[in-house]
Amino acid sequence: MGDGIGVAEPVATRADAKGTEDLAAPLYVAWQITNECNLACLHCIEESGPGKAFRDELDKAGLFGILDQLLALEVPYLSFSGGEPMLHPHFFEMVEHVCAGDAQLKIETNGHYLSTANCERLRRLGVKAVQLSIDGASRETFNRMRVRGEYRTVVEGARNLHAAGVPIEINFSPTLFNIGEIGDAVDLAYELGSYSFYTGRTMYTGNAVKTWRRLAPSEEQYEVFFATLRAKAAEYRGRMRVHFHEMGLLEELRYRLRHPAALLIVLPNGLVKLINALPFVCGDLRKQPLTEIWANFQRAWHDPRVARFVDDLAVDPCKTSALHQWIHL
Amino acid sequence: MRLAKNVKFREEKFGGVLFETRSEKVFTLNPTAAAIVRELGVAHDEREIARRLKDRFDDPSNAIEREVFALIAELREKGLLEDSPRG
Repeated sequence: MGDGIGVAEPVATRADAKGTEDLAAPLYVAWQITNECNLACLHCIEESGPGKAFRDELDKAGLFGILDQLLALEVPYLSFSGGEPMLHPHFFEMVEHVCAGDAQLKIETNGHYLSTANCERLRRLGVKAVQLSIDGASRETFNRMRVRGEYRTVVEGARNLHAAGVPIEINFSPTLFNIGEIGDAVDLAYELGSYSFYTGRTMYTGNAVKTWRRLAPSEEQYEVFFATLRAKAAEYRGRMRVHFHEMGLLEELRYRLRHPAALLIVLPNGLVKLINALPFVCGDLRKQPLTEIWANFQRAWHDPRVARFVDDLAVDPCKTSALHQWIHL
Repeated sequence: MRLAKNVKFREEKFGGVLFETRSEKVFTLNPTAAAIVRELGVAHDEREIARRLKDRFDDPSNAIEREVFALIAELREKGLLEDSPRG
């Protein structure tokens, strides 16, 4: 479920008074457990889709070996995303393993496999939340964006989650054809029982590179979008968190150069990225222990190639189109 | 009295961190605050936490009690503590 909004990570995973170099391990691991997906979304940052699983995705022993490392190092928070994580053959076993450990787990899904039985199972296993992507308040816009997707299925899935008592978060990726529905989308999220709504600017990367002319909202549209979100945040204060990122990608990355998040991005093949919005890889969990990769993560943020890439983005914003050409640091 | 359901604690060389996973916010703790958090779930209330820590540390100025009450109040105010046992 590779949504291309902003830099896909929480803003506050850095220790406020301490840098990541003071931490013994990451605080958050965002794991794309497969690149396979049932949908082929116009904006997908990961270029996921049917038949798009990496050829070298981790096997079961590799997956559980990494999970055991994460739990042993007391990583408090994990998310499983994709692709579509619920398509992974070991999805529920992995969820059970994490939840039985002492970590909290969020599932980021496109919402097409949220049957009553699956929602009840997720509740019983104790997931912290399920994050759904609902890009639009109407079937027409949703289905246009989420190729092969079905709005009604996702709405029904959200209702199943709510009935089962699983906390819901909803994500929205703006495009020029759904951006006008933002107010209704926030209302829909609340009506479906979500406790959190998140959005930001859609990124020029992944599938969006090919579809950008059909997708990219104008600055004028973004102005109205963020004004609506400010009003909605006030309207739902105390009932649902309406969270949005106004910063553009360049500002976000410049901030991250000074304040890296205590977050590792794990790819389906075990490679570890510095941050989703940069092409840099700082380790390989198939070959290196997590402690070594965490140390490398600290060093990698100071590698001059990282700052240079961000500087170059200021001149050529299209450099994000090459995020999947990994650069090993 | 214990950490709220969505709050995780991890010890660190500098003390510890609390990670509130609902808002995804991180709070850093100095060694004193980390020692207080470790007592949550063991001790019944602020007074008992202070007493248990005084047994372990020199505290001629009675600073521990003040720090315990102040930290617990702050954790409560931030929604990081809950009083009743979780079901």
